Amino acid sequence: MTAAVSPVRGKRLGGRSSGLRGYYWLMLALLYLPIVLLFIFSVNSNTTLSFPLKGLTIAWYTKLFATPNLLAAVGRSVVVALGASLIATVLGTMIALLLSRFDFRGKGLLTSMAILPLLVPYFVLAVALLILFRAIGVPLGLPTIAIGHAVIALPYTTLIVLARLIGFDRQLEDASMDLGASYPATLRLVIIPIAAPAIASAFITAFTVSFDEFALALFLAGKDPTFPVYLYGQLRFATTLPVLIATAVLLMAGSLTLILAANRIRQR
Amino acid sequence: MQPRQARSAWRGFVGIVSIAFIAAACGNTGAASPTAGVASEPPSATATPVITDTPPDQVTGSLSVLDWPGYDDPNFWIDFKNTYKNVNVSFEFGSTDAEIYGHMKGGSQADIFHPYTGWLQFYVDEGMAAEIDTSKLKNWDKVPDSFKKIGQINGKQYFVPWDWGFSSILYRTDKIPNVDSWNVLMDPQYRGHLSMWDDGPGAVTVSAYIHGYDETNITADQLAAIKAEWTAQAPLNKTYWSAPADLESLMNSGEVWAGYAWQGSFAVTKGAGTPVAYANPKEGRNSWIGVYGIRKDSPNYDLALKFLDAKLGLLTGQNLVNLYYYGTTNQDVMNGLSDPAQAAAYGGADTQALLKNTFSIDDPTILQHTNFTPNLTADQRDAWTAMWTEVKASQ
Amino acid sequence: MTAAADRLDPGAGRSSDPRRGTFFLLSIPAVVGLALFLILPILFMVALSFRADLNGTLLAPFDPTLKQYDKLFATGSYWNLLGISTLIAFGVATIATLLAYPLAYFLAFRAGTRAGLYLILLLVPFWTSYLLRVMAWKLMLGEAGVINSVLLATGLIQHPLEALLYNRFSVVVTLVYVWIPFAMLPILAAMGRIDTRLHEAAADLYASPWQQLRRITLPLSLPGVIAAFFMVFIPTVGEYVTPLLVGGTGGTMYGNIVQAFFVQAANWPLGAALSVIMLLATLVLVIIGIRIVQPRRLLGQ
Repeated sequence: MTAAVSPVRGKRLGGRSSGLRGYYWLMLALLYLPIVLLFIFSVNSNTTLSFPLKGLTIAWYTKLFATPNLLAAVGRSVVVALGASLIATVLGTMIALLLSRFDFRGKGLLTSMAILPLLVPYFVLAVALLILFRAIGVPLGLPTIAIGHAVIALPYTTLIVLARLIGFDRQLEDASMDLGASYPATLRLVIIPIAAPAIASAFITAFTVSFDEFALALFLAGKDPTFPVYLYGQLRFATTLPVLIATAVLLMAGSLTLILAANRIRQR
Repeated sequence: MQPRQARSAWRGFVGIVSIAFIAAACGNTGAASPTAGVASEPPSATATPVITDTPPDQVTGSLSVLDWPGYDDPNFWIDFKNTYKNVNVSFEFGSTDAEIYGHMKGGSQADIFHPYTGWLQFYVDEGMAAEIDTSKLKNWDKVPDSFKKIGQINGKQYFVPWDWGFSSILYRTDKIPNVDSWNVLMDPQYRGHLSMWDDGPGAVTVSAYIHGYDETNITADQLAAIKAEWTAQAPLNKTYWSAPADLESLMNSGEVWAGYAWQGSFAVTKGAGTPVAYANPKEGRNSWIGVYGIRKDSPNYDLALKFLDAKLGLLTGQNLVNLYYYGTTNQDVMNGLSDPAQAAAYGGADTQALLKNTFSIDDPTILQHTNFTPNLTADQRDAWTAMWTEVKASQ
Repeated sequence: MTAAADRLDPGAGRSSDPRRGTFFLLSIPAVVGLALFLILPILFMVALSFRADLNGTLLAPFDPTLKQYDKLFATGSYWNLLGISTLIAFGVATIATLLAYPLAYFLAFRAGTRAGLYLILLLVPFWTSYLLRVMAWKLMLGEAGVINSVLLATGLIQHPLEALLYNRFSVVVTLVYVWIPFAMLPILAAMGRIDTRLHEAAADLYASPWQQLRRITLPLSLPGVIAAFFMVFIPTVGEYVTPLLVGGTGGTMYGNIVQAFFVQAANWPLGAALSVIMLLATLVLVIIGIRIVQPRRLLGQ
């Protein structure tokens, strides 16, 4: 009669999906186009980013590992991003739970505060945090950057977890409590596991936001630059660009591998 | 570490220009001309010895330097590194003078910072710079007096000048046969093929050169006229540039035919094979000088002083000339460029002829033509930068 | 079913609520963190905007003055630019959301078991440095860039198009490109909780896929769409990196002006005043947006 009935697992609805599938692959191709370009220039022996291409080389990749400043900057970015994502995800989940499960007077205020970092340009927040840290005597360094990044990632984590928590069947929670579980236990055993994909998604989003952010990292860094700050500084020198691009390509390839592996493990 | 590409042909470039500079400067101040047979020391392979109380290897401690990105490269403080092996040097970065000022203002704990001419006055006025005890600088006598004066505010030595260069117009000779005036940046016939440096004070000085304003005393009416001029100029640009690499790639690709540029960009584009020339405008080039200062309350004053002294060292200066095409204030380094016996340290002798030709090295009057960046007061800085921001906002 | 369950118990959060302990445990870190590291710095920033200049140490007491705001109100070009930036942000958010919606739909309902993999593939470019991706766009849009080279090679144009780069067009294209995956995430999350049995039921009742889209999917995913729109719109108003790199002289946005005062001009008080204006303007826009969209009604509360 009408469209085929969908199998329960995998949510594959019938109907015209070839158009949508084609759209997905088209968008993917467009999204990857700049990446492909970057990759091409990372193996191009020309030091300037212009066509025509000269020979192929992997010299930039070997040079990358011979530049301690660059490697240190990448390492710092990872550390900061991990810390910031952890804070932002935990806090974001907390706020999302508060907003979706409780009714209290300051609800609108809390929502606004959680979304507020989106309204503030990063370097404005950076200067503001700089003043704050100076005022309370906190030395600048990786922890201060992590705090700044946690603040800007918070709206994303909150919204992502909130979108999942809203309207998911509260009967499960009620059932759990009826069966004698305390609320913390219900949280731990029922709500969090159900929200886990969103929490993971929030963590990854926060990590991405932090890893690549440079306005806050610039102002709050003190002595040690993170990768984007280092990159921005090196943009002055055209000759270092290929090495930086090689770094970025490697980072992307590395994270792709990591995530794919994690996905494979998860599916086992 | 920057790869040395086809730049070996241009290592001597800035040195040659600075010969004329130094020669004229010496001529002005009455000191002996370096070309008049002054014996220059043979370049030593070891670092310039700096005499201290404790033997250098035993000096410990740490220094923090607020500098522009790239200067953390050990080549640019190699004399210090070789002598004081046990001192830990770390770097903070600022990519513009405003950022460096902002860092210092924001309470940076850096011991040493690196501003440029035009931005020196307020450090002293606001008590952020310590006075330099030049008696402790063994290399101080290698710095010409004209440079020493640059680092003096209110009669006291607050800064040690280190690097310097020109600002002028870099242009493609295949698109524009000859540029002899700063006015080319305002010329509508090159619409879409110009590029100005994204800097308010820079724009004001260009206008001052063109119209003959007194840079140290721009009136409100003049500033309004300058703003109108640059507002009209903005659409003529392909884009503004903030890092030299931006301009260099636009020049190489031929999208930009003329742009405000530092001499390093000339070296890079010429080295890439692009047909370019560096103008000698009739209003005169601009010259800027970078200086190092010590933060007022730094607990490492003596160690910082040793660092600055080592910055004036021979190897450090040679590296600056060879790797960045910037001039250095160590006169020996500059002298060495015209000494055939030292050609190996700076690059082949064949480059010198080319450079001489391009830059009228034999022109002893180049210094008379050059305008030096004066120091801004805080009010001027705010007014000029606000003017530039308004120009950008009106597009 | 779910709508009723969405409504909170009237006693939630009150002293009779057995979850009160958890409530405090959840709320205190969040509130303290936000107050200390968001509200307080913003208050410092607002205070800074009333400072005449940066003379003296950063934390020194000063006499408040309206000097910066006077300067602001006297400069029409800043207000103009704010309006233009808002329009650009609106355009970018709309386009990004529109383009992201089919992607989210595909991943939520058509991708089947491979959805996770497809999602990852979409997100991975975003582990490449933003700065470098924008630079890559310069390579695509430039006169000697990929697009021009292809067009010239196929003979569609005789001379390279100069109008692709260093203007508002390149800013919008680049920003949309950057934001699409981020816009997709909230939509995907919202679609993820739509019960597909609704679609099945509708199909059994002879509804076409389009009708299913219009009557079921769209309304139920609307909170995600709204979230996506605002998530893109709000930060884009203050965007400055992309305009700086690909905007040329004509693609300047308000964020560039604010940034210039902090990074080029060392005039923090004026920059702070500009930021305050931007914060207020965005706040007003968000309030208007919320009024129009009425999320409470959407969220069933």
